[in-house]
Amino acid sequence: MIELLEGAAAEHPDKVAVVSPFGAPSYAELLDRARAAGAELRARGIARFGILEHDPAVVLALLAGSALAGAEACVYPLAASDEVNTETFVRFEEDLLVTSRTDLDVKSAAPTELFGSTAPELPPAVEPRPLMVMTTGTSGFPRGVRHTWERVLRTTSRIKPAPDQRWLLAYGLNQFGGLQILIHVLAARAQLVAGKSFQPRDALAAMRQHGVTHASGTPTFWRFLLAEMRSDGGPTPALTQVTLGGEAVPGALLERLHEAFPGAKISQIYGATEFGQNITVRDRLPGLPIGLLQSGGDVEFKVVDGELWVRSKASMLGYYGEESVDAESWRPTGDLVEVVGERVEFRGRKTDVINVGGVKVHPLPVEDRASRVPGVQLVRAFGRPNPLAGSIVAVEAVLEPDADADEVGRAIREACADLPPAARPRSIRFVETLSTTGNKVNRGVNR
Amino acid sequence: MESRRTQAQQVLRTFLERTDRDAAFEDATPLQGEGLALDSLETAELSALLEDELGTDPFTEGLLPVTVGELLDFYDESASVGS
Repeated sequence: MIELLEGAAAEHPDKVAVVSPFGAPSYAELLDRARAAGAELRARGIARFGILEHDPAVVLALLAGSALAGAEACVYPLAASDEVNTETFVRFEEDLLVTSRTDLDVKSAAPTELFGSTAPELPPAVEPRPLMVMTTGTSGFPRGVRHTWERVLRTTSRIKPAPDQRWLLAYGLNQFGGLQILIHVLAARAQLVAGKSFQPRDALAAMRQHGVTHASGTPTFWRFLLAEMRSDGGPTPALTQVTLGGEAVPGALLERLHEAFPGAKISQIYGATEFGQNITVRDRLPGLPIGLLQSGGDVEFKVVDGELWVRSKASMLGYYGEESVDAESWRPTGDLVEVVGERVEFRGRKTDVINVGGVKVHPLPVEDRASRVPGVQLVRAFGRPNPLAGSIVAVEAVLEPDADADEVGRAIREACADLPPAARPRSIRFVETLSTTGNKVNRGVNR
Repeated sequence: MESRRTQAQQVLRTFLERTDRDAAFEDATPLQGEGLALDSLETAELSALLEDELGTDPFTEGLLPVTVGELLDFYDESASVGS
């Protein structure tokens, strides 16, 4: 990571590396901060530390500094409560939390303390240099996924320089998706653009203001962004690349994005924190090409009992506090799939399966059909507890401004009429908005 | 204001129209079988709809009404409990 930053700073010292409401530092400035932070971390004997900071440039410099010092950094989610952050600090046995905040009951230091260090400069730490990435914790307390920079960065040599690209940051840097954008920007010597928050409305404003050319977000992020664009009627950002990942990508969304950004290439990435790198699919069809199931390559896939399994050369070393996993072994992804013709189609997360009277139902085919209904802006399908069937398939939808709820409800039912009876939505409700975590729709059971 | 029983009647009527059934029924009409012929998933759907519209429904309360009248009676009782 420090070498990536050094490379970018050597080639483009004065180029603005990151633009955000917090400032616009150059590559050379970030390298100075990273070197000072690395030296200070080593001088203080810090082996493991957390980062809780809004400014993405600060996070970038601290991550590069961590690699220099060989200290294990872990970026905390900005949206987490103080209690969760404090508990994370204790659970992960961290030596220090680097944050501008002074009100947390943990041992902390401000980023400026590290960046202003007068400790002597260091040679880079010996490999392997550790890194920890938190899971989103949708099913319990977040776990720390142990990686090394060497494994996470192993494919960056394939990234071609593209200093004219301006990449939107639409993920938190605590998320693997956010970290990958950061790495890509550094490797391409490009520019990272961040809005006031990761919310689609702020992201749209940042895209327009800073001429973003490349944007990567979850399908949920893109759905909300399209809805924002329609409702505010402002100019369409001049994107040349639209990338989706982090959730299954329905075909209807790919079509809508192509209509909204006709000049942009549209790619899907499939990856997970645990397997350390992404597969990119560029043909604008949902799912993965079946060719990926063949062996060979950096990432290999197979289907076991309807679930996608993966083996990755960049896979994690294990979860913090648990036994190391065999990094070369096959692991289940939790994604349920079905091979249809030449495609591996996603059916939903294993944890999202709805048990309707003993029949296992996947929410995604319902969402895909409902999202194509005119008048539907956003939609989610989930299991609603029911005394007669255990659960029924429920749909919550946000309507377009002029849409008629009765008509849209009828059309959603018709659109789902080809599904087996247990998979058809039995409860359709219209809501003002949908709840999300990390720009992913919450599909958890609720009433 | 309409009684909860009347509101429940309207919910049932809307539901029957939506599922392409004759919306005519009497208190003695059975919900399943020869009567309205609701299958288990349709009954589950009706339960969710009643809960959405009226805040509660007999199935969720552990009852198993057999006829339309028994279903509607629940709302007489729930009204008297609630008022």
